[in-house]
Amino acid sequence: MTDKNKQDPRLPDETFEPYEANRRIPLPVYWIAIALAIWGVVMLVQTSHSTLLADKERAALDKQDVAANAPVGAEPAASGKTVFNANCATCHGEFGTGSVGAVPPLANSDIVKAGGAKLIAQIAMRGIDGPITVNGTTYDGHMPNFASALDDKEIAAAASYVARTFTGAKDGVSAEAVAEIRKASAGQDPWAGGAELAAATPGLPAQPSAPQAAADMVQNADVATLVSQGAGSVWSCASCHGDQGEGTQTVPRLAGLPAAYIAKQLHDFQQGTRENDSMAYVAKALTDAQITALADHYAVMRAPSGARPSLDGDLARGEQIAREGDWSIGVPACFTCHGPSGFGVAPDFPALAAQQPAYVAHQLAMWAGGSRHNSPLGLMAGIGKALNDADRRAVADYLASLPPVPATPKVELTAMRSDAQPAKETTNDQ
Amino acid sequence: MTSNHPSDTPPPGPDKPSRGQTAKRVIYAVSGGLVLAVLGSLALDYGLAPGWLTGQGNTPTPAAKGDQAKLFTPPDVSTIPDDDFGQSVRRGMAIFNDTGTNAHDYVGNALNCSNCHLDAGRQAYSAPMWAAYPVYPKYRSKNKMVNTMEDRIRGCFTYSMNAQGSPTGGPPPYGSDVYRDLQAYFFWMSKGLPTGEKPEGAGFGKIDKPEKEPSLDRGAEVFAANCAVCHGKDGQGQKDMNGKQVFPPLWGPESYNWGAGMHKVDAAAAFIKHNMPLSEPGKLTTQEAWDVAAFVDSHPRPKDPRQVNGMTVEDAFNKLHHKHDGYYGKTVDGQLLGGGASPQSAGAPQQDGNSGG
Repeated sequence: MTDKNKQDPRLPDETFEPYEANRRIPLPVYWIAIALAIWGVVMLVQTSHSTLLADKERAALDKQDVAANAPVGAEPAASGKTVFNANCATCHGEFGTGSVGAVPPLANSDIVKAGGAKLIAQIAMRGIDGPITVNGTTYDGHMPNFASALDDKEIAAAASYVARTFTGAKDGVSAEAVAEIRKASAGQDPWAGGAELAAATPGLPAQPSAPQAAADMVQNADVATLVSQGAGSVWSCASCHGDQGEGTQTVPRLAGLPAAYIAKQLHDFQQGTRENDSMAYVAKALTDAQITALADHYAVMRAPSGARPSLDGDLARGEQIAREGDWSIGVPACFTCHGPSGFGVAPDFPALAAQQPAYVAHQLAMWAGGSRHNSPLGLMAGIGKALNDADRRAVADYLASLPPVPATPKVELTAMRSDAQPAKETTNDQ
Repeated sequence: MTSNHPSDTPPPGPDKPSRGQTAKRVIYAVSGGLVLAVLGSLALDYGLAPGWLTGQGNTPTPAAKGDQAKLFTPPDVSTIPDDDFGQSVRRGMAIFNDTGTNAHDYVGNALNCSNCHLDAGRQAYSAPMWAAYPVYPKYRSKNKMVNTMEDRIRGCFTYSMNAQGSPTGGPPPYGSDVYRDLQAYFFWMSKGLPTGEKPEGAGFGKIDKPEKEPSLDRGAEVFAANCAVCHGKDGQGQKDMNGKQVFPPLWGPESYNWGAGMHKVDAAAAFIKHNMPLSEPGKLTTQEAWDVAAFVDSHPRPKDPRQVNGMTVEDAFNKLHHKHDGYYGKTVDGQLLGGGASPQSAGAPQQDGNSGG
């Protein structure tokens, strides 16, 4: 072997390999290395320091929370004023003035004077769905029922506060009486406007006649099957959203959402502009006609709230975000766009009241992260990003404490559909 | 390969450095590294580092941090005192937020104070009340006299709230509780600000002149893309199921009249640039803000209440509007603007008679 490897020294050395002289590493490399090392140490020290601080802060906050919560829990019954301001004033106003053309006044209201605190409790327990005349003015009358949002003590306190403060009544109503009213109201539809109230309560001022009971919307047998049993390999709506469309956890409440909003979401699931594997699978199996029918089905559904604050959110902070907004972080009040008390404004702004808190917080986080991106003008992306995790939980919990939205009246939806009928062929294409 | 190849033996390198040289290099290296670290941290502190490096570049902030720091923060609503004064403040706030209900007799359209003075009159650059209160009384060329805060609010009712269409046909009379409560609210909100000094954040802020002359066609496109989702395709806003006006109408019989400050295109452009779309201020370019402001202004609205005693639109234009940047007295789509607004001209059927009340 060695023989073969010997080379004729006259020939060029073919196995020659270039080599590099043993140069020193240039100074700038040292500079950068040392600067990075220093920076690393500084960062380590700083981070551990701020972690320590944050831990301390959190511990202090926890203590505060405990301290702040203790008296609230110990309070025997919420004061009527507090319950009224948190639940009723969003529509009726802090001074019970109502809102001209939309919400009847409570202050000096002839109905409140005639019926007293008991009538208020009866109304709160069932809600109203029909025209009502107060002090000579007739209002459309869509009021939610508070049966699933407030307990007997709270309803008694608020009803007594309204009667005493706004009409000077002497008597309130007791929590026991409210419990009786709750029993009697169980399973009842909302009061069909002032007419039904007047029939049940002697001495009320004249009321407009109740609207004709809406001819039940032609309930498509197809839709009933889709909702309750599913079709083919597609499971039913109710299997996740509940029999009454009330939702659970991260599955949203559908009852009472605007029909156009539900339809748009289903189309978005179909087309992939809203991402959710389960819903994409279901939506792709639906025809346009089925989507419209399902949207109508849920839009007119009145169902008790299935939501309770459950995310440990700060309700006061949530109420602030929902009603006033936090403009220091660029967040307007939820109710500025979603309507007073979060009833929604069709077609683009869905109802928020009584929505499942886990769903709301989850969607806000998805908007912040960009995995949900189908809101008009991308409005919700900016808002989702501006809220931090605690804010998202706070506002979701507050919205879950509200009474469910009074659903779109069947009469209105039927009218809307019959108006749209001639144009259907042209609007159906996407 | 075998190990005993001639080229495997390393060639003689340069001479090994002497000890002294190594020590010198160590000193150079360490001190240079220190200097670099110091320079780097200084650059970070002074904000000279590029955004992609610090990861802070693309977080949108409504206004630069420096500006935010200068802006006055009004007190929190929860600090309104629980006494008679506080009651007046609360009534003032209720009037501000639902003007049509709580000052019903003097409101002739479907607007509230808080539609333009956002966040209940607290938001900087949407004419916050804390910035207005400390600079009154003041001389105003609009009515050529020294105006008290009461005079000023009276002007708002007359023009922006279109009091001529209200149940009483005019603004609240001098001395009305409406003024008392509103002023209590403004006063409470301005706590701590010096009088006589215009604070940063006052009015609608400044807006540059547009590069191109505002165009109604471009404005219509901007409106359809950015405004219609809330204010409606027809600009008449939207109501909830109970008929409560949630989004305000921008023109037509239920909006501000031709005497309101918002009818001036420059004022509207500044408001839009700094506040709209709600929660996304700054989304529109300066040019888009001017275009859409012009588009909004180019629609019919209630007449200027100063146009009385048989004054024609032309007379009123020469007397009151010739200096204004607006569409008063101009003809758009064959319609002379300034004469008023009938329900038909708003472009939307308005069946309910009680909403404006």
